[in-house]
Amino acid sequence: MRDSDREDLELHRRLSSGDRGAFDELYGRYAGSAYGLAYRVTGQQILAQDVVHDAFMALWRTPEAYDPARGPFRTFFLALVHHRAVDLVRRESRLHARSERAANLEPLVGEDPADAIAEESYLGVRRKEVREALAGLPPEQRQVLEMAYFGGKTQVQIAEELGIPLGTVKTRTFAAMRKLRAALEETG
Amino acid sequence: MIDRHDETQELLAGYVLQSLSGEDAAEADRLLTEHVPDCSECRMMLDAFQAVAGELALEAEPATPPDTLLPRIHREMDTRGRPGIRWTPGRLVAAAASVVLVVGAGGMALSQLEDRKTAQVPAADVQGLADFVVQHPTLLRQPLGGNAQEISARGVQELYVYGRGVPFPAPGLVYRLWAVSAHHATHLRDFLPYPDGTVLVRLAIDPSTFDHLLVTVEPAGSEPSEPGDPAWPEAG
Ligand SMILES: [Zn+2]
Repeated sequence: MRDSDREDLELHRRLSSGDRGAFDELYGRYAGSAYGLAYRVTGQQILAQDVVHDAFMALWRTPEAYDPARGPFRTFFLALVHHRAVDLVRRESRLHARSERAANLEPLVGEDPADAIAEESYLGVRRKEVREALAGLPPEQRQVLEMAYFGGKTQVQIAEELGIPLGTVKTRTFAAMRKLRAALEETG
Repeated sequence: MIDRHDETQELLAGYVLQSLSGEDAAEADRLLTEHVPDCSECRMMLDAFQAVAGELALEAEPATPPDTLLPRIHREMDTRGRPGIRWTPGRLVAAAASVVLVVGAGGMALSQLEDRKTAQVPAADVQGLADFVVQHPTLLRQPLGGNAQEISARGVQELYVYGRGVPFPAPGLVYRLWAVSAHHATHLRDFLPYPDGTVLVRLAIDPSTFDHLLVTVEPAGSEPSEPGDPAWPEAG
């Protein structure tokens, strides 16, 4: 286990007993990654804020949803953020036809470089490993994975968009997930 | 015969990415409630894929949220309570109105209930239940009759009413869900099965705040003042 994972565990334990300082510290650690992810998926700053807000409120209200026996806090929390971002995109897309986004997002404005640097020093190593693992996938596997994960698309939609059979989307997704798992467990 | 674990795990990969829909989502839901809890191999793979889904987040460029966000969260932490607060039955009654609101997509007005006859189980709801099932190893299941069951976990302020092959009530009638304590019943919401007989209701309430759930059958649109006839008397 990494030191940062161990620190997260302790922060989560304190948060579970109502320690607001621990909550703020976890916010400091993960708000940047959460917001970047939510923005990448939703494509809108206002929606991304709602996602991050909801995820941190859920953490505060039901900290017991995280079970330390099942992995690091980091992956639990960012998976929660992702889940909420995709939910929101799906709900929104039922209301409006979704505009073309995600592929060419405007860079976020108002970013404080000092904050970004602090965040990077904490998660930077893992971020690099994740990017390398993704870069190591065959392009056709990475494509379906990113359309699902960052595009919030269903496998059926991906099959239609790429003009390939649904079974192929499933096979590529499965293969990609297994490779990522192997690559990340090796470095994690 | 196709290897059951491989087939399951291929679905799990799509499931953790939230990219399943239609029959695949229903099949994953079935596997997650019937196969995965008892299969250590598939559970391990599910945990591993969930972890990958968490790690993938790091591929997105981090960005600093607006300075207003943390204060907004702090304000809400002050007004919406802290972890571990237990609802007494009295508070549950007082909060009944808001409970019906927080059930979210499921908390629909009576006039919308009829639409369910043509609607599908939302994939997000199914995933919500599946997440709940796999995240809480000490799951409590309580049969409600009518092929429906209450699924809860100790200390978790969330529970589900879930069933497959639940019969439709007679035309003009709906099922009504109550939280029953010693001498009073709190109306939670009305519901109908989906066209395929699936019932999936999520409730944001603490199961320790009442004795048991009760499902009655009532005229659609009637005032929920007190419970009428039990829908499924065989539940006892
Ligand atoms: Zn299995």
